Amino acid sequence: METYTFNAYPDHLNTAHVALFHNLKNAAALRAQIRAAATSPDEADRDAVNFAFVEPRLITSRLHLQTAIAQASLAAAQGNLRTKTVHSEILWALNPTNNITEALRRYGNSDTSTTLLVVRVGGMDVPAETVLKQMNEVAIGDVQPLDTLEALTDWSSVKKYHKLNNEVAIKTARDVNHEHQIVDNIVVTSVAMKSVVS
Amino acid sequence: MQTSSFASKLNMASPLSHTLLQSSSLVAQGAEARVYKSSLTIGGPPFLLKHRFNKQYRHPSLDASLTRSRVAGEARALLKCLRSGVNVPGVRFVDASEGILGIEWIDGLSVRRLLPGGTEDEEDLDGESIHDPQAKLSAHGISVGNLMSLIGIELAKMHAADIIHGDLTTSNMMLRHLTKFQVPVGSSDSLQLVLIDFGLSYHSALVEDKAVDLYVLERAFASTHPESEPLFASVLQAYADRLGKEWSGVKRRLDDVRLRGRKRSMVG
Repeated sequence: METYTFNAYPDHLNTAHVALFHNLKNAAALRAQIRAAATSPDEADRDAVNFAFVEPRLITSRLHLQTAIAQASLAAAQGNLRTKTVHSEILWALNPTNNITEALRRYGNSDTSTTLLVVRVGGMDVPAETVLKQMNEVAIGDVQPLDTLEALTDWSSVKKYHKLNNEVAIKTARDVNHEHQIVDNIVVTSVAMKSVVS
Repeated sequence: MQTSSFASKLNMASPLSHTLLQSSSLVAQGAEARVYKSSLTIGGPPFLLKHRFNKQYRHPSLDASLTRSRVAGEARALLKCLRSGVNVPGVRFVDASEGILGIEWIDGLSVRRLLPGGTEDEEDLDGESIHDPQAKLSAHGISVGNLMSLIGIELAKMHAADIIHGDLTTSNMMLRHLTKFQVPVGSSDSLQLVLIDFGLSYHSALVEDKAVDLYVLERAFASTHPESEPLFASVLQAYADRLGKEWSGVKRRLDDVRLRGRKRSMVG
């Protein structure tokens, strides 16, 4: 798990914990649990799944995810959330369109996920070990270093969702590494400027 | 304690952006904006933060909407350039309501400082080598001619995408030295010409706008760098080669613009 501290963000939003799970065992059960929590009268049920569950195959770099977290937390700090929570806002920020359902479907976890990024945005008051323990309670799998993220990226889906296949920048890339650099920069840029698109 | 800190935050216009700027270091100050070096996460990579501050001379609601649309416009132009393969910094952070645009940090020197005459009246008063641009260029391993070609190519790519920069000067171009890490495998070119400051840019397919864009740069060369004519000629040569068949129209219009200046005559 990695912990990021955001400069200048208010105390209740300045920390983000991110864990990457491999060999996820309970993808379908986890989705059912999230659905049930949404309508549960018990606050504790919602607290248990109070994370952003992100599809790692659509994330191109740490910076990509950090940028989405930063923009979501900014919206939360300023009272400009377009979705219900800062965690769903992260998924909304990642998706290139304004459609919330589509954002959750594409960038959220699915019944067939075998890898998963789990993100908690909050304050520094909760120790990292506690957060990791809470993550391990909802996601059953192996927590691996975020450096393994790169190998998981599904570049053709990223290009498809961001409509990059016919762009000059992609067609003129020198090689596959260069293309990945370009795609990453475009994708990070799109996430950062989501609030001013259209 | 909880309530008092909350109250003090309410009194400030925007606590987040306010503290973000306080934690950044000022790089440059202009009439429209201040530029800072900042970072999003502690220990994270640096980025450049451009703050379009409040203008006291404008009505507050006009100021807010102008600032917002300019930040949005600049970000959109950068995205369009990236998609079209033009070397520009990527966007890293946007808070349009506060007039803040965060972009990728570019390590390097402006072309202005790499060419003769460009370092005058600036703070570079220390040492001989600084006054010898030739030495600086060869330190980068690039000749003046190659640098001019890089400029022409980048401008052609930008105009082919129908983006007009609106403020082309040698200060708004940077020669970036890519680190080993950033250079693609099997590629020898570690130098990249990057266009910056899209604050006045707009979208246009008109030959007129492209010609005026080039004319503005020609005047900038002439006023900043001595004996700039051969320099600008090689910029145009590379521009023409890259642009292809669209060049003849732009060339003809550029000749017209040279005769009349940047503004079109509204008489007759």
